[in-house]
Amino acid sequence: MVRSNLVKPSPEVPLPVEPEIDTLHAEEFARELRRASDTLPPRINIDAESVEQGLAKLVLTLIEFIRRLLEKQAIRRMEGGDLSPEQIEELGLALMKLEEKMQELKAQFGLAKEDLNLDLGPVGRLI
Amino acid sequence: MNLYAYCLSDEVTDSMIESVAGLSGAKTRLMQCGEIMAVVSEFDDERATVTRENVLAHERVVRRVLSETTPLPFRFGAVVTESQLQSYVDSQQDHLKAQLERVRGCVEMSVKVIWNLEAVRQEIAEHYEQESKAIGAGETRRGSGTAFLVMKRSEILGENVTRTRAEEIADWLAEALEETVRETRVTVEPSAPLVISAAHLVERRRLKDYRSALRCARSSRRDLHFLTSGAWPPYSFTIAGS
Repeated sequence: MVRSNLVKPSPEVPLPVEPEIDTLHAEEFARELRRASDTLPPRINIDAESVEQGLAKLVLTLIEFIRRLLEKQAIRRMEGGDLSPEQIEELGLALMKLEEKMQELKAQFGLAKEDLNLDLGPVGRLI
Repeated sequence: MNLYAYCLSDEVTDSMIESVAGLSGAKTRLMQCGEIMAVVSEFDDERATVTRENVLAHERVVRRVLSETTPLPFRFGAVVTESQLQSYVDSQQDHLKAQLERVRGCVEMSVKVIWNLEAVRQEIAEHYEQESKAIGAGETRRGSGTAFLVMKRSEILGENVTRTRAEEIADWLAEALEETVRETRVTVEPSAPLVISAAHLVERRRLKDYRSALRCARSSRRDLHFLTSGAWPPYSFTIAGS
C-alpha cells in the first residue's frame, strides 16, 4: 500500500549520526522481527541438501492457496443456497480430507502452517 | 579489481566521506557517473559476505552521507566492476535523477506496531460462536462434512474481520501522520502479532512535527505496542539497483 503526499522539496538539514530507536517492548519486537525474517526466506536455496524442501515448500504453498480458494468457493455456494444438503456434506468431506492430506505433507517435509506463504513484494503475501 | 558500491548522490562531496572506512576497512571514494556520484571502495572478492561487521560498515558509509545529504542507497552486497557501475548509472541516469529528486531533503522513519492478536481473535470468535452453533446444530446431524464447512465459514468470517481491524489501524496511523509525511509505504499483516510495518518519507525540516504527531498518536492507543525508529536512508522508497 503506497500513500503519497508530494510537497515542494526542502533544503537539507544535517542529522545526528545515530538513528533513534524508541520502544517500551524491545524483547517482544525482537522476537517478532526475528520470526518474520525466519518465516519468509526471499529465495529458494538450490543446493543439494535443501532443494527438496525448498521446492516442496513452494509447491505446497501453491496447493494451500488453491485449497483455501476452494473452501471459500464452497462456503459461498453453501450460503447461496444452490447446493442440496447431500452436496454440502459431500463437498465438506472432500475438503476435510484435502486438509488432512495437507497436514500429512507438511509434517513429512517438516513445515509449519506459517511456512506456507510467499512474499509478493509490494503486493504483500500470497496467503 | 571489483568495487563495493554504497550509494548514489548528486550532492555528495569528498569531504563528506573522507573520514569513513568501508568494507574491510577500505578507503571510500567518489566515482563520477555523469551528473551522479557513486560512493565506492575497492573490493577484492566476488561477493560480500553477510557479517555483522560488513553490514555495519555498509550502513556506516551510507549513514555518513545521509548525515549531510539524502543518497539513493544500494542494498547490502552491491559488488560490481567499474564499467558495470558506470554502465548502470549511465543507462538509468534520468530515472536515478528523478529518484534523487523524490527523496531530496527527506529521511525514512519507521513505525512498527504489535497488537494483541489472541485477544482480537478471541473477541471475534465469541462474536461468531453463537451464529456458528445456530447453523451447526442442524447441520452437524447431517454429517461431519457439513460441520467442517460451517467451522470453516466461521474461520473465514473471523479472518475477514481481523483484516478489517488491522486495516483500520493502518488507516488510523496514516491519518495521524499525514500532515507530516511526504510518502508512506505500509505492510499490513492481520495474521501476525506484528500487524503494521510502516515506512514514512519525512522532510528533515519536519522531523520535529512528525515525532510530535507520532508521540501524540501513540499515547492515544495504549492497546498497541510501538517501535519507532529513524532517521534511516530511504531504503523503502528508492533503492539504487533494485
